[in-house]
Amino acid sequence: MGVLGTRQADGEIILLWTLPVLGLIWLSAFLLFPGFVRPMSPRMSAEEVAAFYRDPENLARIRYSMILFNWFAVGLIPLLALIALQIRRMAHRTPIFSYSIIACAAGGPTIFLLANLFWLLAAFRPERDPELTLLFNDLAWVTFASQVGFPIAQSVIVALAIYLDRQARPVFKRWVAHFNLLVAAALTPASFVGLAMGGPLAWDGLLTFWVRNVAIALWIAVMGVVLGRAIYRQRDEEGATA
Amino acid sequence: MSSAETGALPERPSGLRLRRIVWHWRHDPKRELWIAWWTMVIFYQLFGLLFFVVTRTQPPPEPSWEPARVVQWFDENRYGLLIGFAFVFIISGMTSIMNALIAYSMRRMSVSRAFAYSYLVIYALSTLPGMLLLAITLTVGAMRPDRDPELVRWIYDFAFMTFDGTMGVFLVGSLVWMVAILLDKNRVFPKWFAYLNLCNALTEVVVAPAWIFKSGVFAWNGVITWWIDVAVFVTYTIVFITLLRRMILREDFGTGPLPELSPDQALASSGLMKAAR
Repeated sequence: MGVLGTRQADGEIILLWTLPVLGLIWLSAFLLFPGFVRPMSPRMSAEEVAAFYRDPENLARIRYSMILFNWFAVGLIPLLALIALQIRRMAHRTPIFSYSIIACAAGGPTIFLLANLFWLLAAFRPERDPELTLLFNDLAWVTFASQVGFPIAQSVIVALAIYLDRQARPVFKRWVAHFNLLVAAALTPASFVGLAMGGPLAWDGLLTFWVRNVAIALWIAVMGVVLGRAIYRQRDEEGATA
Repeated sequence: MSSAETGALPERPSGLRLRRIVWHWRHDPKRELWIAWWTMVIFYQLFGLLFFVVTRTQPPPEPSWEPARVVQWFDENRYGLLIGFAFVFIISGMTSIMNALIAYSMRRMSVSRAFAYSYLVIYALSTLPGMLLLAITLTVGAMRPDRDPELVRWIYDFAFMTFDGTMGVFLVGSLVWMVAILLDKNRVFPKWFAYLNLCNALTEVVVAPAWIFKSGVFAWNGVITWWIDVAVFVTYTIVFITLLRRMILREDFGTGPLPELSPDQALASSGLMKAAR
């Protein structure tokens, strides 16, 4: 037990506490982007979309908010690595679930980064032909809205891992698994974004924009808290046995 | 284990390079690490050749050009782009082996596995927006030289701004490596290298104005956003390739602090470095 007891855990607390800082940055960037606070409609014409990017006040806010997202969206990945390490501690026979989370971790941030690049490109040369600005804008919104595959898989993997963690003191409580399935369900409708130019499924709609984004924000906040508890509990237990 | 393996080693042959390579392939307990290290050395040589010489995409052309001039640039570089990026597509997967070696350096440290995993995942995704999007879009541009010039410039902006403007993966990746080095008690790297990681991370902050300016020092080919950043990146790369080599030489396959280089290892090392120069 001696060698196993002195598990290498240096730095996990630092990685964990980057999360509230990053959360604050993400929230400020979200509020700063004029296309999110009142989400842009897919019904906007090419001229309206071009005018949105040409408006000098909008333009600065688009660029600054998207540069912030470009820098810090990837910061979510260390949190996912910490979740993978907690899943590794669960009472499973194989590391399948922790490996799955690691394999999944790049998906969400990469795809968000792509959408981010499209928004920045639309804002890079707003004087270009409105049809071409519209093309960047469409690519950005559809990439942002429709790509729920990796986050859904992530939540389902976490849920499965927790359900199969059959031990007296499981790493995460059962409700965390139920919560993850609920988040996965809330993300699903957004994949149909291409079918709707208005209504709840459109990229500015209730389901695709508000429900999905609130679900992602809640997932990050809730998983951050339960992960923090699990890490501190693990440190206490290991401190006690040492 | 490894000590038993090293104990039974037959003598290293001197002389023909090929015989030495065969010896390492058969007997060297560090062969996996050396394969990864040589992959890294070869990749950066090819990367430099393909981006600076064959495709002429580095140093990058002007962001302020009118569509007609952009079309002309595609015409002048057509076959360089199409052939050069074909080779980029062949070698792009080498990055996974390089990233594995850097992740291994963090696994050898006294820090949580979370650092190695994070780095591996972050850099696994970095090739797509940071390099391949440029190669794919410029290939698309070069394939049809008769396209509407406005569309050609759309492609051109797409290519160069995704290449320069993908900042977060390298920013956060370098910071993860930096924190791991600062916390490490196994002395895998000297602490000053952590601050060089910080410099590399800061270049990704400095490059951000390229999203706003189309000429001058902050444009995508500007003195600050391109020349200074490339100077830092080249220094950083040469330093980490050298330090990773020392790490492999020092590796004892234990879990405690890495031993320092023995005098003759250090001598061989400096001799090699001189030969390399």
